[in-house]
Amino acid sequence: MLPWAPLALTTVTAVLLALPITPALFELWKRSDASPLPTSRHDGRIGNFAEIFRTRLEPLRPQLERCRTERTVSRTSLAGMEILLVGTDNFDFDSEQTRGISTLMFGEATQILAGKVVDADVYADGSMVLGENAALRAAFGRDDIILGKNSTVLRWLHGDGNIYLRSRSAVYGRLSAGQSIRLERGCAFQHMHAPEILTVDSDDTRALPTSDTHLCQAQKDPEENAERGLTGDMFTTSRPRLRVEGDFALPAGETLDANIIATGELHIGRGARLLGSAKSYKDTVIDEDACVHGSIVCGGTVWLGPRTFATGPVMAENDVLMARGARVGSPDAPTTISSSGANIAAGCQLHGTVWARVRGNIEA
Amino acid sequence: MDLFRIVLLLICIYTFRHYFFTFNRLFGKQRHPYVDLESAAWPEITVLIAAHNEEAVVADIMKALIEADYPKEKMTIIPVNDRSTDRTREIIDAFAEQHPLIEPFHRVGGKPGKAAALKDAMTLVKTEVVLIFDADYIPGKALLRQLVAPFFDPEIGAVMGRVVPLNVGKKCLTRLLDLERSGGYQVDQQARMNLHLVPQYGGTVAGVRKSALQEIGGWNENALAEDTDLTYRLLIAGWKTAYENRAECYEEVPERWPVRVRQITRWAKGHNQAMASYIARTARCPGLGWFERIDGVLLLGVYLMGPVLLLGWLLAVVLFYTGAQIGGGLTVLALGAFTTLGNFAAFFEIAAAARLDGSRQRIRLLPLTLFGFTVSLISVSHAAWQQVRESTYGNLFGNHELVWDKTERSRTAPVLDDALSPTVPVLRESV
Repeated sequence: MLPWAPLALTTVTAVLLALPITPALFELWKRSDASPLPTSRHDGRIGNFAEIFRTRLEPLRPQLERCRTERTVSRTSLAGMEILLVGTDNFDFDSEQTRGISTLMFGEATQILAGKVVDADVYADGSMVLGENAALRAAFGRDDIILGKNSTVLRWLHGDGNIYLRSRSAVYGRLSAGQSIRLERGCAFQHMHAPEILTVDSDDTRALPTSDTHLCQAQKDPEENAERGLTGDMFTTSRPRLRVEGDFALPAGETLDANIIATGELHIGRGARLLGSAKSYKDTVIDEDACVHGSIVCGGTVWLGPRTFATGPVMAENDVLMARGARVGSPDAPTTISSSGANIAAGCQLHGTVWARVRGNIEA
Repeated sequence: MDLFRIVLLLICIYTFRHYFFTFNRLFGKQRHPYVDLESAAWPEITVLIAAHNEEAVVADIMKALIEADYPKEKMTIIPVNDRSTDRTREIIDAFAEQHPLIEPFHRVGGKPGKAAALKDAMTLVKTEVVLIFDADYIPGKALLRQLVAPFFDPEIGAVMGRVVPLNVGKKCLTRLLDLERSGGYQVDQQARMNLHLVPQYGGTVAGVRKSALQEIGGWNENALAEDTDLTYRLLIAGWKTAYENRAECYEEVPERWPVRVRQITRWAKGHNQAMASYIARTARCPGLGWFERIDGVLLLGVYLMGPVLLLGWLLAVVLFYTGAQIGGGLTVLALGAFTTLGNFAAFFEIAAAARLDGSRQRIRLLPLTLFGFTVSLISVSHAAWQQVRESTYGNLFGNHELVWDKTERSRTAPVLDDALSPTVPVLRESV
């Protein structure tokens, strides 16, 4: 045997043993990834993007005001953003001035012509109108915003006033308004929030009745409503919990004061009232004129029939389908609809937030 | 021989379980049913902060809770100061003077232990939703809403958030525990949530529905692990526990091995106690689906797998050298392969969790978790052995003298500044 053989064997063995832990020892020494995992630092609100955008551009408002007074266009940069300040009302989006611009700030009412594609974030100090078939990356408006037919916003859209989406227009990402959102037939959305959301027929600019009380609320005495916990915090009353193995149906016209959990399908009959929350492992069907004074949690698809009312929230693991006249939430108690997909007929009224994780549509 | 086969079978089952959860997290449909709840008629809540000699940390959690994004008029904070002998009471009272939503509960007597303290504090709770934090946790702004959201589901009795170690960079141990926690929450808990199984209530960064708690008889003062105990009592009574993976909260993990050994010994004993109490009832519970029952039983048995594994190794050697017909080298090889795979399955879970968290460099430490695994194996086996001995002497899995077994804190002073900054706090000593 060669005299250095034992030494060689020991060395090779040691190397082979050390090899798998070498990266570990290196990481212990270098500490390249030794900080705490980042946790969620924002409050998850839909308007955050718009709020950050507004705050970031706020220092440029005096400059924008000057451009408006002088009817000029000027270019500036802020925190790495190339910004064009537009003080005129007939701005040419195809001009050389837009080259390399990431943000357009308008001091006047903004009109984006039909078919135009704007590859920049837009800040409008006044109202904004997006022409037919036009497309925007993202926009913030301090007043009302109207999206023309077939127009598209790719990332987010916020208006401090009202937002009106003409038929077949789409907002991917976040859509929020300080006052209301109206969507015509064929519109698409993903995540939207406003004190009032109305789905309307095409070209229907008439206001829907928004502040009146739903049938099943109006019929009842306010004192009785308060007694039964129909107003305010749904957690303040301790209702009985009814757990049903399999399907459950509340017959038409009946009233039930309980929280229901059904391991099958749940069916609330025509004109029935459920004073409490409902959960089903499979689909939930709320027939026309029925009411649910509580949350609806569903492992399948929720169907809200014509003229139904739910105080919400409505959470479905599959889709939420809403027929004409259905309402969720109220102006003084906004709520959330959350689902994979949402299909909403014209003539529905929502208050609060609608989350369609994959896609939401207004019925064409 | 039969015992040896049972050991092999158990190892196979737990190996499969680890892999199944991991693949579900990597490739399965993910369920976060309550995460999108943004607008709602948020209920009145009470936040209980369990504190026993927490002068170094209690100010931070109160600051963070005051700053939380939850309607202040619907929120009451009750710091549960259980017989502290340091400045905890003084700090809490100073905060309460400035902030009317803080209503301190100073406990001066009664049974020791967190469960007993919470039980006494519950007499002050007037709201249906109760959130519970240990004093060393630092909740983020949106955490309260995230923890409350699942209670809109009438079937939910308890909610558990995700715990994220804060003092990661301090020691090798803290880095290993960071990986372990990731595996446990990011993969294990979330997979159980995805699959409608049994997510576990963890006692902190958590919430419970008061009516559900009352229905099951309140906190169990005699439970060594009141969190596991509560999970199973709720489950058997038809209530579910929801896990909110995005409801993240920082905690401190042990920085010294003896502290870690004491912690895992305590957990193992508590878990085994819950197993003795609830395994039969869980297996027979008519309101549970088959998969839920199986998962519930397996979850109760996790801390028994340490001694089972050791027993398997011992039996393999003994049976092999005594010439027993165990299938010879093939069976020994099978045991070796299964234990290796079993271990790898747990490590696979950790690796998947690190990937899901997007932290690529720390995964290099994975081989070192073998060392942490060995320490845990010995600790939980020792805990099980102690419990067997105690049961032999008539102290049958309970009726122990309970104490506040809390993990040693590394913070020596508050880390949040006076401006109640919502940014990620960093330990002063950390690197």
